Amino acid sequence: MHKIWAVVRREFVERVRTKWFWVSAILGPVLFAGIIVFQIVQSMGGAVRNVAVVDSTTDKLGPKVIEALDASGSFRATLAAAGPGVIDSLSNLVESKQLNGFLIITDDLVQTGRAEYQASNLGMQTIESLQRTLGKLVVKARLEQRGVNPGVVDWAQIRIALDQKKISHGKAVSDSATQSFFMAYFMAILLFMAILLYGVNVMSSVLEEKTTRIIEVLVSSIRPFQLMLGKILGAGSVSFFQFVIWGVSARVLLSLRGPIARALGADPASVQTMVLPHIPAATLAVFIAFFLGGFLLYSAMFAAVGAMSSNEQEARQAQQPVTYLLMVSYLSILGLTNDPSSTFARTLSLVPFTTPIATPVRWTAGSMPTWELAASLVILAIGIVAVTWVYRVGILMTGKRPTVKELVRWVRTA
Amino acid sequence: MPEPVVVDRVTKRFSGHTAVENGAGKTTTLRMIMDIYEPDAGSIRLFDQVGGGRIHSARIGYLPEERGLYPRMRVLDVLVFLAEAKGVSRRAARVKALEWLERLGLADWRLRKVSDLSKGMQQKVQFISTILHDPDLVILDEPFSGLDPVNSQVLRDTVVDYRHRGKTVLFSTHIMEHAEKLCDRLCIIARGKKLIDGTLAEVKHTHGGKHVIVEFDGTQGNARQIFADRQLVAKLQDFGQQAELELATGADAQEILKALVNSGARLARFELASPSLHKIFVDLVGPEAATAAASGARGANGGANA
Repeated sequence: MHKIWAVVRREFVERVRTKWFWVSAILGPVLFAGIIVFQIVQSMGGAVRNVAVVDSTTDKLGPKVIEALDASGSFRATLAAAGPGVIDSLSNLVESKQLNGFLIITDDLVQTGRAEYQASNLGMQTIESLQRTLGKLVVKARLEQRGVNPGVVDWAQIRIALDQKKISHGKAVSDSATQSFFMAYFMAILLFMAILLYGVNVMSSVLEEKTTRIIEVLVSSIRPFQLMLGKILGAGSVSFFQFVIWGVSARVLLSLRGPIARALGADPASVQTMVLPHIPAATLAVFIAFFLGGFLLYSAMFAAVGAMSSNEQEARQAQQPVTYLLMVSYLSILGLTNDPSSTFARTLSLVPFTTPIATPVRWTAGSMPTWELAASLVILAIGIVAVTWVYRVGILMTGKRPTVKELVRWVRTA
Repeated sequence: MPEPVVVDRVTKRFSGHTAVENGAGKTTTLRMIMDIYEPDAGSIRLFDQVGGGRIHSARIGYLPEERGLYPRMRVLDVLVFLAEAKGVSRRAARVKALEWLERLGLADWRLRKVSDLSKGMQQKVQFISTILHDPDLVILDEPFSGLDPVNSQVLRDTVVDYRHRGKTVLFSTHIMEHAEKLCDRLCIIARGKKLIDGTLAEVKHTHGGKHVIVEFDGTQGNARQIFADRQLVAKLQDFGQQAELELATGADAQEILKALVNSGARLARFELASPSLHKIFVDLVGPEAATAAASGARGANGGANA
């Protein structure tokens, strides 16, 4: 135990001492602050656009359009009388930044659903907002033309709010598909990042010990399994430390959003508050178990890759299949959430390399029997043990890289 | 009387070819002693207990043939870590490491990275890491290879010091001179077979004939002809200005001396001697295998063996 601890500490201290650790520790909060500032700037002025409406409709729809645009909150609209040269003068206003753009409506708006918008910047959100506002207005106008009561029109346009409840283990829980999807997605990204940023370090660390031949001294006093476990725990704690730094700074920055908004001259109330999803204890336990298991499995795989290679170049080649396996699990998330009880989903949660991501996704989707969960855990554990064997044999091997056949033999005989 | 190391008929095979049979195969045998490889057959006992080096790592110092340290770690940190790996507490390891660095003149380098050190200094650090925990048994695999003269001396002194303190040093070398000067017991291995096993005195006694060392002082006279006389000389090792002769049975060294002087040779040295270990080795394995490995072992006279 003392020996594992020594390995963990060495791994941790040596990693945290590198400048790359601190570069990424600082880069995280900087990026996050950037996002917050961007959001605030977006909510300020950026969202409200000054537009002019050139009205040449016979029914004088212009004022109604202006009213609707103002009501949407995204626009400040003014009416411009149609006439010769008006387009040119409006264009000049846009050029001199006094206007964001102008909308030209004719009778075509109601008849064939056509209008024209000219602006210095055709943002997607602006266009969608314009289309939505005009669409509602036009539907109303058309129905009114055919003698439908305006009150009926308004009533007909009320949108449907679907109340979503998930049946999880026999009980209906207030939950939404998007929420569980994002939760699973978030955890997959976290695992993906932890593995690619820190699990990979296990590989270079193993490789270093192998190429400097210090491994011989180590293995004569520490069991290879202890050594590997120590390394992975070390890498894991470095990654945990990094996430804590990011998490704490994100929390601090979030609480500073009000002051930041004020400093930028925006209304602090305009900054929306973020609501953290409620996570049931069982789900949290599944997440943590598979997160740790996944990190252990993939880090052990990287350790085995390092153990099998004799130089950096070889290792980089040999790590590719491992990265692909990770990619496969990552890319399958969408398919998994679409139908969590399909054969595809079941298969993925029973393969050791994909189960760390597939099982939590299926679990949050709420369609996984407990025995399947247990089976996944067992399979994950078997996978970890098998990979450890490969590491153990590979670590003392020098010379050529083993063939797949030899690998299988190692796993069987070790 | 507990034996520090007992290697009992161990065998190791690597993909079909037998690297070690009955303990013959230097580095592989040492690796099996250190628990780096598992023997396919046979057993290893250390300090009279079953099990290899890992269990006893706190009592063993091991310097492998291929040396290396973590290049990016600080000198002191490497030493402390390697001592911890052998079960020494962090605090004790630190004190010991500083002591040794001071003794070998590396104190000012303790916070530098290993890669900043010269090759010779790195060798010293590696050597400190081998003996930092004051082991009862030190296993050195080809310790002198690649060592500069200064470090060679440090190593020799330490080996002798260990011997006086009643500890055991087991080392392998292919330089017979080292084995002859430093070892109490030795075991010669060549081509995967054990040729000799015993104390130095035993080996010399069993394998030594009557030996004469002749060193010329310029003129060699008719020496070659005399050396070629099978009545007088059984075996010859000719170094040019020097020759090592093994007398034929019944031959008298004085006869040879007389014949040499009469032939007009001028001699700087004529010495009746026991054969050198190198000579014994060459005789046993033939000159073509003289570069092959041999392994010397030094058992302590006092403590551990008594």
